Amino acid sequence: MSFLDRITEGWRKNRKPGYYEEFDYHWAMTIDLDQCSGCGACVTACQAENNLPIVGEDAFTKGREIKWLRLEHYWEGEYPDVKLNVIPMMCQHCDSAPCETVCPVSATYHNQDGLNTQIYNRCIGTRSCAVYCPYEVRYFNYNDHAWESPLDQQLNPDVSVREKGVMEKCTFCIQRIRQAKDNAKDDGRRRVRDGEVQPACVQTCPTKAMVFGDRNDPKSQVSQSLNDPRAYKVLDELNTHSSVVYLKKVEAEG
Amino acid sequence: MDGELNQLKYTDIHNDVVRSIVETGPNYYIALITAFAFTLICFFFPWFYQLYYGIGAAGMNHPGVWGTYLASFIFWIGLSHSGTLLSCVLHITNSSWRKAMYRSAEAMTLFSLVVAAIMVMVHVGRPWFIHWAAPYPNQMEMWPNFRSPLLFDVMAITTYLTGSTIFIYMGSIPDFAAVRDRTQGWRNTMYSLMSLGWRGTDTEWHRLHWAYTFLAVLIIPLAVSVHSIVSWDFAMSIVPALHQTIFAPYFVVGAIYSGTAGIVTVMFVLRKFMDFGQYITELHFDNLGKLLLVLSLLWTYINIVEVFTGFYSGASGEIEALNYRLFGFYAPLYWEMIAFCAIAPLLCAFKSFRTSFVPMLVLSIAINIGMYTERFLIVATSLSRQYLPDAWGLYVPSAVEISILLGTFALFTTLFLLFVKVFPSVSMYEVKETMESPKKSTPAASEGSPA
Amino acid sequence: MPNIDRRDFIKLVGAGGVGVGAGVVLRESIKHPREHLIPHVLAPEDYSSGVATWYNSVCSMCSAGCGISVRTREGRAKKIEGNPSHAVNQGGLCAVGQAGLQVLYNPDRVTGPLLQAAGRGSNDFTQITWDDGLTRVASRLDVLRAAGRGNRVAVLTRGTSGHLAELLEAFGQGLGTDRLLHYDYDHPHALHVANQRFFGEQQLPYYDLANTRHLLSFGADYLAGWLSPVHHSLGFAQSRHGGDHRGHFVQIEPRMSPSGAAADEWIPARPGTEGILALGLAHHIVASGHYEGDDVDAWQEVLSAYTLARVAQETDVSESTLRQLAESFANTRPSLAIGGDGAANNSNGVDTLVAINALNYLAGNVGEMGGVIFNPDPGGATSHSRQANYQTLAQLAESARSGEIDVLILNDANPVFTMPVASGFKAALEQIPFIVSLSSFIDETSALADVVLPSHTYLESWGDAFPEQGVGFSIGAVSQPVVAPLYDTKATGDIVLDLARRVGKPMPWNSTEECIKDGWNKIYQESDSNTKTESFESFWTALLKAGVWGKKNHRMTETSRPNANTIASIGVDAPTFSGDAEVYPFVLQPYLSTMHDGRAANLPWIQELPDAMTSVVYGSWVEMNPKTAKDLGLTEGDLVDVESPEGAVRAPILVYPAIRPDVIAMPIGQGHTNYGRYASNRGTNPLEILSPVVDENSGNVASNATRVKIVATGKHVEIVKTSGKSRDLGRDIVQTTGGDDHTAQTNSIPITVIPT
Repeated sequence: MSFLDRITEGWRKNRKPGYYEEFDYHWAMTIDLDQCSGCGACVTACQAENNLPIVGEDAFTKGREIKWLRLEHYWEGEYPDVKLNVIPMMCQHCDSAPCETVCPVSATYHNQDGLNTQIYNRCIGTRSCAVYCPYEVRYFNYNDHAWESPLDQQLNPDVSVREKGVMEKCTFCIQRIRQAKDNAKDDGRRRVRDGEVQPACVQTCPTKAMVFGDRNDPKSQVSQSLNDPRAYKVLDELNTHSSVVYLKKVEAEG
Repeated sequence: MDGELNQLKYTDIHNDVVRSIVETGPNYYIALITAFAFTLICFFFPWFYQLYYGIGAAGMNHPGVWGTYLASFIFWIGLSHSGTLLSCVLHITNSSWRKAMYRSAEAMTLFSLVVAAIMVMVHVGRPWFIHWAAPYPNQMEMWPNFRSPLLFDVMAITTYLTGSTIFIYMGSIPDFAAVRDRTQGWRNTMYSLMSLGWRGTDTEWHRLHWAYTFLAVLIIPLAVSVHSIVSWDFAMSIVPALHQTIFAPYFVVGAIYSGTAGIVTVMFVLRKFMDFGQYITELHFDNLGKLLLVLSLLWTYINIVEVFTGFYSGASGEIEALNYRLFGFYAPLYWEMIAFCAIAPLLCAFKSFRTSFVPMLVLSIAINIGMYTERFLIVATSLSRQYLPDAWGLYVPSAVEISILLGTFALFTTLFLLFVKVFPSVSMYEVKETMESPKKSTPAASEGSPA
Repeated sequence: MPNIDRRDFIKLVGAGGVGVGAGVVLRESIKHPREHLIPHVLAPEDYSSGVATWYNSVCSMCSAGCGISVRTREGRAKKIEGNPSHAVNQGGLCAVGQAGLQVLYNPDRVTGPLLQAAGRGSNDFTQITWDDGLTRVASRLDVLRAAGRGNRVAVLTRGTSGHLAELLEAFGQGLGTDRLLHYDYDHPHALHVANQRFFGEQQLPYYDLANTRHLLSFGADYLAGWLSPVHHSLGFAQSRHGGDHRGHFVQIEPRMSPSGAAADEWIPARPGTEGILALGLAHHIVASGHYEGDDVDAWQEVLSAYTLARVAQETDVSESTLRQLAESFANTRPSLAIGGDGAANNSNGVDTLVAINALNYLAGNVGEMGGVIFNPDPGGATSHSRQANYQTLAQLAESARSGEIDVLILNDANPVFTMPVASGFKAALEQIPFIVSLSSFIDETSALADVVLPSHTYLESWGDAFPEQGVGFSIGAVSQPVVAPLYDTKATGDIVLDLARRVGKPMPWNSTEECIKDGWNKIYQESDSNTKTESFESFWTALLKAGVWGKKNHRMTETSRPNANTIASIGVDAPTFSGDAEVYPFVLQPYLSTMHDGRAANLPWIQELPDAMTSVVYGSWVEMNPKTAKDLGLTEGDLVDVESPEGAVRAPILVYPAIRPDVIAMPIGQGHTNYGRYASNRGTNPLEILSPVVDENSGNVASNATRVKIVATGKHVEIVKTSGKSRDLGRDIVQTTGGDDHTAQTNSIPITVIPT
């Protein structure tokens, strides 16, 4: 190849969203807003699985909560024709993530499974990723956190406990994905089966509103869900190409 | 001005400037110790506390992850444009009135950049790893992310710092030689080293002039690019109120504006406390005032453009952000900024105002307060109001942050005070260029040395 | 470097080596045990480092009895998941269930037997030995039993089912006391009575949400707290998008609950008039000819007074809405009506629920899929027969006051927190000479105990559960320890067995485990010979590995016909409230929040979980309609006193768009004075100021029948919530679509995926 060809080929390759030719797995999640009851089980499950700190009332007052998955509440209308819309919001694992470009030390990057990953020990805490994220789903550790003994005995050994100065966010429970891939490998190089790995939030959802899987696999439940005519992405006009897709809430007549 | 200076002889300038270096009264020591003490108390101790506790010592929260530290960083980079403007731009346009001031202005640039660099370390969550932002070969085989505007920052500011250091040093070589020739002992050794063996030959002068002009021409686009790049920390995002194309010119104009105001402040101080009243005169303040007026009008225009485009876009996010800036929680700060930066400087239209020293000082401080407010508002209001209303929040600076902000001024002052005792703070040889050369007829008049 | 000779060099190296060695030893010695890479020299037998072990068990955070699978690593419980095989929750689990880990690892657990020698309420507990504690209790019990005065012993325990309940029964019998009470604040007394009256059924029926196409919920917060929330959530999901027809959900309540938010229609009827509304719908169903049973005349007569016009006036719901509700309820097949929570907690609560049963009957929902299905016998003992309602507790208090009770044994029940202050319950308990608590935490009631003999938490105990809400067939599960006990505690059953032995009435088991196993052996013996395994051991292993047991004893199509008397008894009076409407203009609706009845308030995860409707954390609040707030000149955060005829509690105002202007709502669960560092001295308890209005039919307190007034204090606090602005300003973040855009789950396999 000529020098020019090499350059243009590299350029063409790298400007794809996510800059991979193809993803190994391409994890996606759909959340059916018509089924979500806003109960918050997913929030607590995420907290338990990922060693999210107990920040204390003071931190909430200052606005420093750390909830990788939060429920957003939007009221519509006035009494008595009032509705409450609840939407779970977590890292959307955008294929064109604005946060990935801005981190000066590449502490956040897009891996080959289509996940937006955060490398805690590389993060120097400039917090520009949190500024750039339009969904505001990145959370910063403003101080070290303590778990009053013996609550620390519950900590998940598969997930790092983050120190102060480090940014964190939803990882689609990458530790579970990693474990599932390892198990699949041990089983003899098979692929991870649909439904074999579920993030904590998806697993615990009492209304089964959340579906998670590999959208490279056309037979997976999530692929079907992605094709639902009700599917949409939040802030889609920003072209972030998020991996979290929501199914519209149905406003039934009568 | 020329008239006044023409009364002076070369020897007077030498004496005045060397005296400012060599003779140190108790007032200076008091000033230095006070400044240093404030730096320790207001800057370093709170920062050490923050290193221990975490960024939580500041007032930042979710979503207000950026706060006064970043605003201070941008402010100090803005102030650093003072030297560039005065030194380089006015040098190329051959204005003679810059000659008395430009050395101190360049020093301002240097120290502003140093303070800004330290602010980055204060701002970052894990500053002990800040070196990862530098591209050095390492065992991890990790390079920083070159696509990141923050890394452009690192590159630009390092370049600017390096460039400014070389520039001020190079320009001071003849003056070091002058001091060398008039001092003894350790000072003589030090200045001998620092003047790099300057003999004052024609060749040397020629080369110096050429190199100086060359650098001056280079530093101008560098300065413009530095603050544009800093603006791109914001403008390259996709969130409302930050992703505006006007940011690069906005920041550059704002930088030059606050830098010029900064020069006015420093010149006043030098006049007063270093007894340079003969070198820094009404003419300088007059011209600086005109400059401030022009920049103020430019700045006002850009603000109007920003408001208009936000409103014209019709986008809910933009309009909300605009509304919030003008009428929300921080509205008093917004209107204070308008008052100090858009309205007050209009006084500079009057020559009587421009040539009065104390009113100009007050105005320059007001402008800088307004400009700091501008940077703060950009950070605070945009983060408070983004796309998802549920995630809106409020950020209020904490005591640690305000203390560190005040501490930066103390740090700057300390560095500047040290500067005036090492560098000749008025450029002797350039000032002499504006004076009549001594008559070569009488032997008694040959006191003027080539330097 | 100056010249150095060999001796000095060796000395230096030696000194350096010693220094390094000392440093290493020092560092190792100050390491926390868990910092050692390989913490054991001899590996323990029950786990492998680095490999997770999963145990099935049963969640005990509420009475739903969801099956759980607990992930443990190195002998520590790490994560609780729903057991996919358990029919109640099918792999899902609610937030409080997830937080069960914090019950086990709570820093405020009682770690060993305690004696409150310095007097009740002193909070000054000293540690004693088990022998000492058990002797103190057993000696008193023995004296009473021997003298035939066993009835002077009272046992008050949280709702317990299964073989532990049987154990407690046997214990009571052995002592000779009949004062054995179970107590859960939210036990559906009224629902039981209503089902008994209308259907003649002892068990609660099964409400088949999964297959219904139209749900009419009268106040029942089925997604968040009523009966079996996880199971109902599954049913809700199935009804919405599990089939080819999207289920329609209607919620009738004065204050929008999470179920109301998920519903398609929220109808704010006047509080306490839900039953009248139900009868209005029933009236329309009969009058318009939808019901064609042969007792239609009797129905017409009893419902004649409930014309739509009159009902509309009493409920503040328009006639057209009522008509349309009735039409769609009757025409959509299958449909289902349920009632509970606020609707049941009024002076006319039982009548209301009977009316709802009637509505189901008239629409033809009974014994139909997607409707009301009768439950068979649960398969094990349930708690209902011993569940104390307000009157029972009031009687207990009266007995205590009259000096008829000498010993009270508490087990994880907290009526001092949930009973209104006006009942004088706490003062009455204080009259009892000796109180022993078997709870794991010192809550308000256990704070009155003289001796505390702490139980294991549910994750450390053997037990079993037969949820009485049922799933349409008998279901049960065994709860097994997932970790070794953390502290010097004993299983509740073991304490009871020990006491029984010490009073000379030993029971046939040596431990709780034996008792449970023995109970299941009986179930095993009786099981269907087709499915019976070869030995009890294999049955037991399979049972624990599956985490669930069931019997195929559906009563799917069974129905029941009310007789003439029953029909004639149908009618709902207007609700009565305490206090003069002039002085106390608002009706207080205390509702069960994420903390249930307050039991989850000591779990930091739950304190930090933003409330489902308001996103508030760590506090209490008073919900008020925006117009009401404006009329009173109050804004969000203004501290007010909510004053009932009995007393006042103080909390900040929260402007709540979905509540009737004449109603005030407050969450139950905060306001603890004891119960650990996360729960104590935080928020306020609205149950304190309830008036003791009792629904005569159920004997339970009508907790939604208290009137209150709002008194501004002039103070202001910042309500701590995570939501910024709860309006989306037209940004379409939650997008909705009309019905036609919706297709339910299809079975087709798409070829393309959404391009990213």
